[in-house]
Amino acid sequence: VSVILLRVTALLYAASAGFYLWNLVRGARPGARAATAGAWLLLVAFLIHAVAIGWGCKEFGGTEFLTLNGGLVMLAWLSAGAYLVLDRIHHIPSVGAFVTPLILAVLVPTLRGPGAGMETVPAIIRSRWLSVHVSSAFLGIALFAIAFGVALMYLLMEREVKGKRFGALFSRLPSLDQLDRLNQSLVRWGFLIFSVALVTGAFFAREAWGQFWEWDPKQTFSLMTWALYGALVQLRHSAGWHGRRVAVLTMVGFALVLGSFVGFGVMPTGRHGGDWQ
Amino acid sequence: VSGGGPDLFLVGLSHRTAPIAVRERVALSGEHLRAALRGLRAQPGVQEVMVISTCNRVEIYLVADSAREAHRFFSERAPQAAQHLYQEQGSGAARHLFQVAASLDSMVLGEPQILGQVKEAYDAASAVSTVGGQISRLCHRAFATAKRVRNETAIAVGAGNVSQVAVELVRKIFGGLEGRTILLIGAGKMGELSAKALAGLGARRVLVTNRSLERAQALAARVGGEAQPFSGLHQLLEDADVALVSTAADGFVITPALAEQAMLARKRRTLCFIDLAVPRNVDPECGGLENVFAYDIDDLQKLVQATRQARVGEAVRAEAIIEAELMAFGRERQTRAALPILATLRRHAEEMAKAEAERTLAQIGSQLDERGRRSVEAMAHAIVNKLLHAPTARLKDAASAEDSALPSAAAELFGLEPEEDEGRDPAEVLSLAERKKR
Repeated sequence: VSVILLRVTALLYAASAGFYLWNLVRGARPGARAATAGAWLLLVAFLIHAVAIGWGCKEFGGTEFLTLNGGLVMLAWLSAGAYLVLDRIHHIPSVGAFVTPLILAVLVPTLRGPGAGMETVPAIIRSRWLSVHVSSAFLGIALFAIAFGVALMYLLMEREVKGKRFGALFSRLPSLDQLDRLNQSLVRWGFLIFSVALVTGAFFAREAWGQFWEWDPKQTFSLMTWALYGALVQLRHSAGWHGRRVAVLTMVGFALVLGSFVGFGVMPTGRHGGDWQ
Repeated sequence: VSGGGPDLFLVGLSHRTAPIAVRERVALSGEHLRAALRGLRAQPGVQEVMVISTCNRVEIYLVADSAREAHRFFSERAPQAAQHLYQEQGSGAARHLFQVAASLDSMVLGEPQILGQVKEAYDAASAVSTVGGQISRLCHRAFATAKRVRNETAIAVGAGNVSQVAVELVRKIFGGLEGRTILLIGAGKMGELSAKALAGLGARRVLVTNRSLERAQALAARVGGEAQPFSGLHQLLEDADVALVSTAADGFVITPALAEQAMLARKRRTLCFIDLAVPRNVDPECGGLENVFAYDIDDLQKLVQATRQARVGEAVRAEAIIEAELMAFGRERQTRAALPILATLRRHAEEMAKAEAERTLAQIGSQLDERGRRSVEAMAHAIVNKLLHAPTARLKDAASAEDSALPSAAAELFGLEPEEDEGRDPAEVLSLAERKKR
């Protein structure tokens, strides 16, 4: 049942993305009907998505998001939620045209149904630390995902503005300054929440494996990601870093996240993958 | 609309058809405008009149038997005007007004002033009571349509000239300019205009520098800025966010080395150069530096062209909105045209029913009690209602389907003349008819 609900959700995300893109084509005015329709569809999709996740947990008899499949479902859901909050605060519908397709892309690989069920996850890893660890990690990644979309917008827009192209995006995207500030707050919040994930992860590791840190590949990658985003936050603050280089590094950071998340999910090499022992 | 009665006419001339020499001869304002409105309205056959007079157009909108009076108005003021006039009737005239109000007929497509000017023209005509229901409804529809066009298309977005384009560019980089600093280098006219335009974005400071401090001071006074010595250019580039450069120098005033030095000093905060000078004052290489944006006059011209082209595309969409509104307006008019027949028909029938009931009651009323008398009256009304139920529905349908044949057939069949019901709102008449039915 949860898979069917997820398919419905994916259709709604696609429709929402369609409206956002249509709004962008039409001139990306805030308050335009297409943008409003996109936002409402996204909200409905988000709610049905939540039901699908709850249902999925019931079917599996536990937290489904420990598998790669479930993780992607969770990530898409949190990204949608984070974007809805962002939209409430900033009202820049053109961002939606970049974020909603991203959400859809995250969700699509899961639509064929779950792979390995909860049977493969041993009891040792069910702990309070774990739920905080996993949910904060996903939320952090969701924010990085949106930051990725915003950074992409920045680079596209800079190409038009600086390269004197004055094409379609020039008149439709928000100003470079606005995109840069959006990136700033997304990276800052993402970093904060990701830090929580790292710390709780360490506590969980001690509970499950006996020590805080043991340099398994996923831990190492996560630490690199965390350090990169931390450097972005710090360098913006102290050295005035902004604009293009921050946008590029934001995208690099997300590539790292995606690499460790999907890469280790598909080819388990450490204790974060299928090898739980 | 079925012929015979008065119709809407437009007669006018504009920048498209007439040179300025003719337009200024016929243009009107203030007391002359009011006098002209009263004069036109006083002519036989003229029911309503409104005159739009701006520097780009003079147009007379009439509800009249013919457009004769408007033509006479023009030829009396300027004999040579006749060959520049255009004329429209009915929906053609309505379409033209919608286009004018939406700024599709303006010299600069999408310019915002024209809607205000049309509103002023309407207000002037209302003030001397030369407009009635028809032109009022037309104007309100035109205002609403213009707003729709402005909201739903990007026709008013973008810019028409170089200093507006400079503002647009700066907005795409910085958003607003709140808390930021503009630097004006050199005393060129374009620089001054652009600095004034940019100051409108809320800049905190406007710095002005020139090789001659005296001229810098004079310029600073004009643009509302502070004069600074030219020798401190390094420092100024460190403070400024937007630098407008228009000096009379033959070579580059801003070199990549100078720009890079400034960028280091300002921790690579974004800096935008707008070079308005010919020959150029800013080395185009500067634009290659990180967080430096550099534009010359050609780039700005290119953007002017780009926005004009974009507006032409938007104009096509605006026309579609206008056609949709025009159709809706036409349907309303049709409904309105059918309603007088309906109202007349109902009243005719009601009077007949009342008269017949009274006649019956006069003969046998004495034999009936109060309840019996009321039953007779009720029966007469019920027959009228039953009989008119289907024709009423059909007439309303015909009206909204823009079929004017049925209303005139009904008038013919029942031997009725449509009443003049211009002052009344169609919804009001409808609900009146509805209430009578019950």
